Amino acid sequence: MLKFKTLVVALLALLAVVPAFAQDAVDVKVWIAFTDAGRLGWAQERAAEFNALFPQYNVTVEGYANYEELFAATALAAEQNSLPAIVQYFEVATQDARDSGYFKSIAEALGDRTEVNGQAFNLDDIIGPVAAYYTLDGQFTSMPWNTSSAIWFSNMTILNAAGVDAPPATWDEVEAACEKVMALDSAPEYCFTFPNHGWFFEQWLAQQNAEFANNGNGRDARATEVTFASDAGVAVLAWLDDMAQKGYLYYSGAQGGASWSTVDQAFSSQQVAMTAYSSSDTAVYTQVGVDNGFEVLASFLPYNDDTGWTGNLIGGASLWLVNGLAAEVEDGALTFLAFMTNTENAATWHQTTGYIAIRTSANELLAGEGWFETNPNFSVAADQLATSTVTSATRGAILGAFPAIRNVVTAAVDTVLLTDSAPADVLAQAQADANVILEEYNLLNAE
Amino acid sequence: MTVRTQDRVAVAGDQGVLAALKRLLPKRWYAHLVLWIACGLIGFPLFYAILVSTQNNSEVFAYQFTPGANFYANWDVVFNISKLSAYMVNSLIIAAAVTTGKVILSLLAGLAFVYFRFPGKWLVFGFVLITLMMPTEILIIALFRFVNSLGWGNTYIALIVPFIASATGSFLFRQHFANLPAELSEAAQLDGATPLQFLFRVLVPVSWNTIGALTVIQFVYVWNFYLWPALIIQGQERQVVQVGLRTLLGGDSAVRFGPMMLGAVAASIPPLIIFLLLQKQFMSGFAITRDK
Amino acid sequence: MDSSLPLLVAVLGAVLGGGLLGWSFRRASQSPALGAGIGAVAGVFGVGLFMAPLNFCTFEADRTTADNVFGVLLIAAGFLLIVLPVRWVALRLAAGQRLIGAQSTPGAFKGTVLPWLFLLPTLTVLVLFLYYPSFDTFRLSTLLARLGTPRTAFVCVNNYTRLIADTSYLNSLVLTLLISAAIVVIGLVLSLTVANFAYQPIKGAKIYRALLVWPYAISPAVAGVIFLILFNPTGGIINYFLGSLFNLKIPWLNDPAFAPWAIILASVWKSMGYNILFYLAGLQNVPNDLLEAAAIDGANALQRFVRIVVPMLSPITFFLVITNMTYAFFDTFGTIDYLTGGGPLSSTTTLMYRIYQVGIRNNDLGKASAESIILFVLVIGLTYLQFRGGERRVSYGA
Repeated sequence: MLKFKTLVVALLALLAVVPAFAQDAVDVKVWIAFTDAGRLGWAQERAAEFNALFPQYNVTVEGYANYEELFAATALAAEQNSLPAIVQYFEVATQDARDSGYFKSIAEALGDRTEVNGQAFNLDDIIGPVAAYYTLDGQFTSMPWNTSSAIWFSNMTILNAAGVDAPPATWDEVEAACEKVMALDSAPEYCFTFPNHGWFFEQWLAQQNAEFANNGNGRDARATEVTFASDAGVAVLAWLDDMAQKGYLYYSGAQGGASWSTVDQAFSSQQVAMTAYSSSDTAVYTQVGVDNGFEVLASFLPYNDDTGWTGNLIGGASLWLVNGLAAEVEDGALTFLAFMTNTENAATWHQTTGYIAIRTSANELLAGEGWFETNPNFSVAADQLATSTVTSATRGAILGAFPAIRNVVTAAVDTVLLTDSAPADVLAQAQADANVILEEYNLLNAE
Repeated sequence: MTVRTQDRVAVAGDQGVLAALKRLLPKRWYAHLVLWIACGLIGFPLFYAILVSTQNNSEVFAYQFTPGANFYANWDVVFNISKLSAYMVNSLIIAAAVTTGKVILSLLAGLAFVYFRFPGKWLVFGFVLITLMMPTEILIIALFRFVNSLGWGNTYIALIVPFIASATGSFLFRQHFANLPAELSEAAQLDGATPLQFLFRVLVPVSWNTIGALTVIQFVYVWNFYLWPALIIQGQERQVVQVGLRTLLGGDSAVRFGPMMLGAVAASIPPLIIFLLLQKQFMSGFAITRDK
Repeated sequence: MDSSLPLLVAVLGAVLGGGLLGWSFRRASQSPALGAGIGAVAGVFGVGLFMAPLNFCTFEADRTTADNVFGVLLIAAGFLLIVLPVRWVALRLAAGQRLIGAQSTPGAFKGTVLPWLFLLPTLTVLVLFLYYPSFDTFRLSTLLARLGTPRTAFVCVNNYTRLIADTSYLNSLVLTLLISAAIVVIGLVLSLTVANFAYQPIKGAKIYRALLVWPYAISPAVAGVIFLILFNPTGGIINYFLGSLFNLKIPWLNDPAFAPWAIILASVWKSMGYNILFYLAGLQNVPNDLLEAAAIDGANALQRFVRIVVPMLSPITFFLVITNMTYAFFDTFGTIDYLTGGGPLSSTTTLMYRIYQVGIRNNDLGKASAESIILFVLVIGLTYLQFRGGERRVSYGA
């Protein structure tokens, strides 16, 4: 009798197990542009949690070295039909993403659903500037995840020693602070730096309410010309050139040559007293001060005194849903997108990195815990965006081949900082080069 | 012979103190000195990379010349987070496949070129010869499109088949066979051996050096694949190790040198082993072609 | 474009080809008429080789002089590319030589199908994955094309002619030649010097040799990764040494004047093992009696090295110049991609790296293909020059 019972139990157990083996979990592949343990590791942990919650899915997150590389890889993968389910595209790739047809808008995939597999999207909960940025043609297009802005980090221990009480808010204040810092007996090698990446030029341009491209920065109609070689654009390069010639600005190297990490090292080893950087690394930068015994204060990105401050751009990237997925893969991808950006995850993601907490509910959660009071550096980027005036310039440009055009701008900054060329000439040439790229792109893509 | 003559010349110029000094120093001390410096300079980058692979960034920036305490943490990043071992397995698979395939195809080509007379032989020969001047790197965009159109995108086949034949391999064996005594093939013909029997029973046993040389060249060549797999392979499942190392760069965030160097060192171990094991064959394989 | 132009060019090709081969045949005491006939056909195909696919677009009315000149060059190149090989083959055939290599082995096997069967896999791979992509690259170079677009556009030879005025391209060209020259010269001089010492019969020679040649097994990409820490602007060990010894701090990766040297040093380091290996092998072939005789004649070690060893090694040097140049042109890609990414200020953007940036990063397939073709022609040209120079200088002693 006992034996029979054991047999039945064993058979039942087997029956329960067999379907689990027979039914393979649906693979959902996610490509992101991070390889560091902090961010790739975070995403992989969420995937593991998600897979435990939803055994019918198997989400795997793979990291590419940077946005540019992932952008190129996506085009190559599309060519061989080996796209994953979700790709992280940086903001400048938006027009290319629309034209290529690789992706499907979140709104379209959702249809009239508000949740998938019980995971709510709550798109109304996404904070204003972010929702506005990722709404294209009236549709919620891609899922925001790592939203940042360019901000300013100061080594207050050095600034205070030099008699500067607060981080500089304008270009003139930067220069004044640098004068004092460099006069110190124990002056750092340079006063400040920034990663040489076209994004910072775009930020300083937008601050002055100057557009990058025509047709309302490409938001009213497809951009057909870039217009960044304006007075505002020249002013940016002229200021940087001036700062470099005065020995204040540390040239961090070309983008391809790991300029971001050069800045990290320069700031943490106190080679410089201040730097512009993405708010994405607020956690790292704050910790660097703790580790090396100096006080780090984040502030708004300094602006041109002559033209005043209109606002700053959103940066970072968002998660795009690949077009033409099998229905169950698409549902899995949507479920994961909702899970990954839910209130709790949006909050911990913000705390881990410094990216803006993209949900109102997440901000409330964090505020309730007193997070922003004890960690003031973490509210700077969100405040900077919240107080920005929304104009076509500060909404950011949308144009074709923007990744290639951004490289042209980065090269122009390089040229100004490393040669004697006049900023106006360099920028005019860059604009001409960029216009050829844009014209050819439109020739192949525009309707 | 040389040794003695040169010593005589050297001794002729000796003077008292110098002579005493020379007796103290090892023979040809200057050669030892130069070689010590050369070995040191050549070895230093790898030595330092190994050292850094045990350290964290603050130890690196403090120029600490003793092993750091971060080896296990670095190991965790390289092999558990970045899963470099999976990339290395992929590289191993394609390197082994290309090497084996190319040795076989090159043996067959060498056999045809040396032991057959057939119309159009020199034309074919020229046709193969010209490919020496066609670097694949230049053609990658067109190759990418073509391989994709075959439906081979994102597969091992795309990393193997286009590289399985080459002029280098064919010529290496052509030269080698042409230098073998004619009696070999005459005897084989008398025995009534078929060409393939002749190849595998007679030629291969006397060609191990050349096979070893080609193995080293090919293994290292394929192990070093970088640009092509970066294009044709997307995703990590089948990606090779040289591209996989990019995941240790840290992207836009702070570079961690320990894991990066550990990855670089680990990625170098398989080709180093192959090279050191087959170094003798490598050298004599080339000596044969040079004697021609 | 005048619609009669293609016909005119075809007639020109026929006349020139016919004339050339007719004359050649007459000199070789063969029938001039037969030669002229073959030549005429070859000439027509030759002039049309590049022009027919381009549909004579370089001569359209609104084209610039540069385009016209480029078109003429293409016609000439196609003509030579077809007619010269045809002339060679035809003369051999006419002279009654069978199409079999001079090299014959007494014990050759019979059969004509079998050898083709043995060669088939090799030939198939070469045709599909080298020859065909070469032609496709040329076709792509006449287009404006991107991945992920609904269409392409034919742009004739614009992708080529625009490069003439592109200073960044010309800079890249000069830079590539300079970096290559530095890698070849520095690498070979150092390698030969070290090999000459390592070859001497001293204690532990085998250990020294093993410790010298292993970088052969290091990949260019890994070389880039390793030198990234050596040259790091903040914590680089090389600057640490230079700083403590000479109070120097060199912005290796951030200054256009130094970044190429970072690439050169990393490449020389990586390729030295290979070079030393070959020089060691070559030194074994230098006859000792020659050196002894010179020593008795009173030549010192340096004189013996310069007058005997170096010339005796010239075949190896010639071989190494070609392989090192190929390395500098193409294999440095991995090192550059990890170490400098082509910067700063494009100071390490070699032609190959540029092709990647333009074609893959900026997704501009047509322009990258045009640059590929030019690099292709450049490599063939340089190899040819070296062979010409090599023939004269190389000593094939012993």
